Amino acid sequence: MSVKRLFALTRAGIMESLQFRLGIFVTLFANLIYLVLVYFLWKAIYDSAGTDVVNGMTFTDTMIYLILATALFNFLEMFVVWDMSRSIQSGKIILDLLKPMNYRRYTFWSYSGSHVVQFLLTFIPTFIVVMIITHGAIHMGLNLILFILSTVLALIVNFSMEMIVATICLYTESTWGINIVKETIVLLLSGASIPLAFFPEAARKVVDYLPFRAVYDIPLTILLQKNGSTELSGLLPMLGLQVIWCLILYIAGTLFWNYSVRKITVNGG
Amino acid sequence: MSTNTVSRKRGLSFYARIYKKILIQDLKSKMSYRADFIISTIGMIMTNLSGFVTFLILFRNFPSINGWDYHHMLFLYGFSLVALTPVQCFFDNNWNLRFQVQSGDFIKYCFRPINVFFYFMSEVFDVKGLGQLAFGVGTLVYAWYHIGMEVTVLRICLLILFLITASLFMIAIMNFAAATCFWIVGSGYVMVIMFRFKDFAKYPASIFSGIFKVIFTFIIPIAFVAYYPSLAVLDPCEAPVLSWCAPLLGILFFWLSYKFWMLGVRKYDFTGS
Repeated sequence: MSVKRLFALTRAGIMESLQFRLGIFVTLFANLIYLVLVYFLWKAIYDSAGTDVVNGMTFTDTMIYLILATALFNFLEMFVVWDMSRSIQSGKIILDLLKPMNYRRYTFWSYSGSHVVQFLLTFIPTFIVVMIITHGAIHMGLNLILFILSTVLALIVNFSMEMIVATICLYTESTWGINIVKETIVLLLSGASIPLAFFPEAARKVVDYLPFRAVYDIPLTILLQKNGSTELSGLLPMLGLQVIWCLILYIAGTLFWNYSVRKITVNGG
Repeated sequence: MSTNTVSRKRGLSFYARIYKKILIQDLKSKMSYRADFIISTIGMIMTNLSGFVTFLILFRNFPSINGWDYHHMLFLYGFSLVALTPVQCFFDNNWNLRFQVQSGDFIKYCFRPINVFFYFMSEVFDVKGLGQLAFGVGTLVYAWYHIGMEVTVLRICLLILFLITASLFMIAIMNFAAATCFWIVGSGYVMVIMFRFKDFAKYPASIFSGIFKVIFTFIIPIAFVAYYPSLAVLDPCEAPVLSWCAPLLGILFFWLSYKFWMLGVRKYDFTGS
């Protein structure tokens, strides 16, 4: 499969998501209001705590972490589960399966366009606003490049999880339920609703090795230069964890999908 | 307009009877997708649990927020959960509005000689909301007991009155958000965003200052979903004026959102799609 053909899918995705410009602006606007809410809430929390640093996180760290987690959430959000269940119901999935291209790869690359658009139009502006508000609290250097690398890995982990959940939906006929279970687990255990640094010791030992952390916590920790991610000895385990989960989830997802897709063919006739 | 005049002549009992009939039909059809029903219920319990875990982790690290201690915050949390139940149970069909409007199926609601808003909302009763109600009531009772408030008839009446008030605000917010789809194609974002703001309802609104206090009180009234109403229950003597205005404001907001929703319907009629 030539790279050129894959990029054609990306380009189509970019054009498609630019159709919904209003939606992008609303998302950006919502991110900004959300930023205000997070700012006031955590400011009050830190003011009541009486100390500046809690579990190694300052007020600014926590705020940047949570706002960028939300921005990452918007950027990584895929509607694979919804799209797939809709195309199963309408039967469109047969057309996608007949395409001379691996279905999973096709899905991934056709989403890549919207990722590019979302990254440029919602993540970057949010990032700039955060920089202005915190007076440049984010270090600008190698960590930015590592952050982007880590985000790409996060994207692959997230996609693999989405695909596994979407495959489960082939069996259960329940989309809303499965999706909300997935979303809740991911948001809680990845640190998107409350930074993982605040979790109790015992819980952290488990959460640290789960794949969910690879989606939000690791990229943001690297960006904020926490947990010794400035040193190679601290950085490598984090990126390593992401790579390992990428592989495990990719392989598991492929096997599960290949097994299940035969099932649909049998049922659908 | 003619549908409106007809509906006004019909009494409450007429609507109650119709609601019961539609409700039974809806429950029957839901029961036929048992797996989906069970998984959705589990999903709803999971969201509540995860919200609770977040809350516990927060208080493990910080003993109080803006002068609100653990049990008072828990009260606010339980209050918001109960107040969010009606919007979940009775007004869940708002989430389908944009699909129905886009596909043109919405026109069927306009042909019946009953109130369009009522008919549309009555079609879906979301059973999952009951789990949230149970969770919220449990939290509320636990917090009440630990705060050590006296249980008097007056307090209970206040609690019920202000819970209804609080839920009116949330229903109004979602009505406004849903009705935007009559004007904007693909306005699902607005609903998702408004629904996410509700997560902030469980924190004391005293954390806001300046212009944002005004915005979150009067424009996106999340301060009224739990904070102001629960102040009136927690401490009736010290509660601010806004708490006592809440019931009236709630009715006003609900009425405005209803009018806005119906304006959308009328606009939809005109396009004749």
